[in-house]
Amino acid sequence: MRRTKPLALVAGVAALATLAACGGGSGDPTSPSDSGSFQETDAGSDKDANATAPAADVEGATSGGTITVYLPGDYGPDDLDPTNGWSVTGNSIQQALTSRSLTQYSVDSDGNATLVPDLATDLGQHNDDFTEWTFTLRDGITWENGDPITAKEVAFGIARSMDSKAFPSGAGTEYSKTYFANPDYEGPYTDKKTSWEDWGGVDYDNDAKTVTIHMSKSFPDMDYWGAFMAMGPAPLGNRSNPTTYGQNILSNGPYKVESFTPQDELVLVKNDQWDPSTDTARHQYADKWIFKFNADPDQTDEIMLSDNTQSQTSLSTDLQASNYQTALNDLGDRLVQQSTQCTSFLYPDYASTDINFRKALAYAYPYEDVWTAGGQVPGVTRTMANSIMPPGMAGKPDYYVDGEAFSYDPEKAKELLADSDVDSVSMIYYEPDPLAVKAQNVITKGFEAAGLTVKATPVQESPYSTWTNTSDKLNKSLNVRGVAWCSDWPSALTFIPPLFRSGAVYNTGGFSEASIDAEMKKIPTMDLDKQADAWGALDEKIETEYFPAIPTAYYNQLFTFGSKIGNPSGDEALGAPNYKNLFVMN
Amino acid sequence: MSAPVAEETTELDPQKSRPKGNAAQISGKSPLRIAFGRLMRDKVAVVCMVVVVLFVLLAIFEGLLQKAFGVTAETQFPTQFLNLNGVPKAEFGPPYGTFVWSHPFGIAPTTAVDNLAYWLEGARNSLEIATLSTIVATVLGIVVGLLAGFMGGIVDRVLSFFTDFFLTLPFLLVALTIAPIVNERFRDGDHYEAAQVVLLVMVLSFFGWMGLARLIRGEVLSLREREFVHAARVMGMPTRRILVKELLPNIVAPIVVSTSLMLPAFVAAESGLAYLGVGIRTRPSWGQMLDDATGFFKEYPLYLYEPLLAIVVLVLALNLLGDAVRDALDPKTRR
Repeated sequence: MRRTKPLALVAGVAALATLAACGGGSGDPTSPSDSGSFQETDAGSDKDANATAPAADVEGATSGGTITVYLPGDYGPDDLDPTNGWSVTGNSIQQALTSRSLTQYSVDSDGNATLVPDLATDLGQHNDDFTEWTFTLRDGITWENGDPITAKEVAFGIARSMDSKAFPSGAGTEYSKTYFANPDYEGPYTDKKTSWEDWGGVDYDNDAKTVTIHMSKSFPDMDYWGAFMAMGPAPLGNRSNPTTYGQNILSNGPYKVESFTPQDELVLVKNDQWDPSTDTARHQYADKWIFKFNADPDQTDEIMLSDNTQSQTSLSTDLQASNYQTALNDLGDRLVQQSTQCTSFLYPDYASTDINFRKALAYAYPYEDVWTAGGQVPGVTRTMANSIMPPGMAGKPDYYVDGEAFSYDPEKAKELLADSDVDSVSMIYYEPDPLAVKAQNVITKGFEAAGLTVKATPVQESPYSTWTNTSDKLNKSLNVRGVAWCSDWPSALTFIPPLFRSGAVYNTGGFSEASIDAEMKKIPTMDLDKQADAWGALDEKIETEYFPAIPTAYYNQLFTFGSKIGNPSGDEALGAPNYKNLFVMN
Repeated sequence: MSAPVAEETTELDPQKSRPKGNAAQISGKSPLRIAFGRLMRDKVAVVCMVVVVLFVLLAIFEGLLQKAFGVTAETQFPTQFLNLNGVPKAEFGPPYGTFVWSHPFGIAPTTAVDNLAYWLEGARNSLEIATLSTIVATVLGIVVGLLAGFMGGIVDRVLSFFTDFFLTLPFLLVALTIAPIVNERFRDGDHYEAAQVVLLVMVLSFFGWMGLARLIRGEVLSLREREFVHAARVMGMPTRRILVKELLPNIVAPIVVSTSLMLPAFVAAESGLAYLGVGIRTRPSWGQMLDDATGFFKEYPLYLYEPLLAIVVLVLALNLLGDAVRDALDPKTRR
């Protein structure tokens, strides 16, 4: 999942920051540097099909008050249509507050997320090969206007996710289109000839309150995909027309939209039709939420550190590195470090480089210095990566490609380069960002110290527009590219195939091995409890045998909370603040 | 009572009253020398001149100075020098530590590059770009102004149209638009760094010549109807010669004035563009230093003051000097 803007998965701010700081930690990841240590979590790999509604009260929670959320440097979603949302920012806000779906994550006070039922009564019943999933809806679920949510509306919402023309940046383009039956169906808005009810991917029974989804291939992660707001209901007919619905959604969560100005502000107020006894994880503590998108980073930090009346009930989703130490001293528990399930990679061109060259790069890359120059806090917002899968993902293996963690060692890189035919690096960097330029200078210095010739070409647009454009002349001349990827749910299914499958868009290094491709196809058909370990083994196999991509960093995010915000914590499932459980202390 | 009569006559005929022997000395002073004399008597002007000369010397000898102080603007591996928040550790100077000789200006947050070395290179780049832009803009302005004013007719109308056209273009908008396009065009070449400098000089000078051109056109319009120009025409002098030999020497004063005021404007504009991220990115500049420093102002204010003071002092000195030059050259100024 992208962190922010739509269109390309990771091509948002985080991706640029990746370039800015194609980071990784230096030294031994088991000994975190200084006071900041890496928070490892198990990112919602737990499931609880029997979670009961209403959700247990957060300790000491009180009702009332307004919570203001500053999102520095984050433009937020352009529209609120649940089907179109595929960014950490938009999904984390809407899934927690306005838009319900089949399943959801319940976050406890430690930030551990558990997959629990939402509109459905359980996590779905599936057949043996995961090609048919049935969800039974709860009683008493309603829209903000008081109308009950019907199975037909949920089925319609699911059918909408097939429409990749109407919702080009929706997550349905990746999952619904890949796994649901009759993938050629264009969706209810593009394919006007076929009624969506004749699509064949979804059946419903309004009386029995069931929705059955048919798959074209085995899809064991349907319960996780069900936690996306795209797998929720949509009003029938014109009310949910894609051109207007995004600015005027009908909500069914504890809050409804009072006003929404894209890239500026979203105001949510209590939805009195939401019944807590139908919801296993959400709460309705605050009276009002105000989200301020694209806030000025410097100003936001000043506000949050000042602890004035307004900032006491505010929170911010980012903190500048320059204020890290001050915040650490002043805020204490109210500075929350949240793992975001993202890994960044250097991705050398698979066809034109060899494994010695790629390992040499891993030793010639000055991890911690690249972070620092890129404006990150070493050991806090970036930590050393050792595997493809980020920490917290089910089945994440613990291995070191070379027996021990990679660290900056130009001499070792020189030795490896002696056995390689390649002795030059050609890469690009994002010039409009001064931090990206500084990080590139450090990378270049590190590579040159290992005896490599470096040609770093500045680009003025997101580097992804070069890396993913296979006909671009500049792209063809590169032998080292990069990618930063975040998971959509804590399964490697959303992580390894998009990066290492032959021909995948974000397989920027062009890695292609028939045996690996076959295994990626095979794992989703295996027994559910064996899949996680199988992905872990595949992760290790790819890296130790081929070493196609150099993991340079795991990402962490810093949140700051005002002194009157209760239960300051993050949501590990989405790498966002724990919106579901926040309240204003009286 | 004959003395007063004699005095009256001397007033009527000054030649007679002049003491013998001093005639050669007085007639040998050109207007520019008189102006220079006035300038040297202006204390503010002299101080400003010293400041400007100092900056020019710093810029010219920045390499030697870096060696003398043992500092370098090369990229560093920053982590070892910095605290977690990106601010230098106490042993490497301010803000947490005291003055250290190895880094007289301290080191930069985030990158740990030596501030003195960076500042000196910034001074060189700033003056280099401002001087080049001033030269280009002045030449453009003189040529266009002279031609438009002297030729008149269709030439005047076309050139004046272009002058007005450039005046209507919003400078910042054009600079912000052109920079990425040109950068993209030259990114593959080996001369990317030079291309960026040339681009910046062009952007600055193409938006700096119009004032001078209009000024000169106006001067020339009044000069070309004077007798000595008519005489030159009648004698069959070629246009080029009239322009260079007859007109140009008569408009030296406004050229010097406007050039001396153009220089500080370009120094400030260069820093401003670098601050906005469209100036030179491949070389150090004060504007980039300012841009980096704003985020660290609370922790490390010195880092902001270094480039800021440099820009303020240099621009102020150049401006005051320009004003002094104008006063000295203007015969109507009251002294």
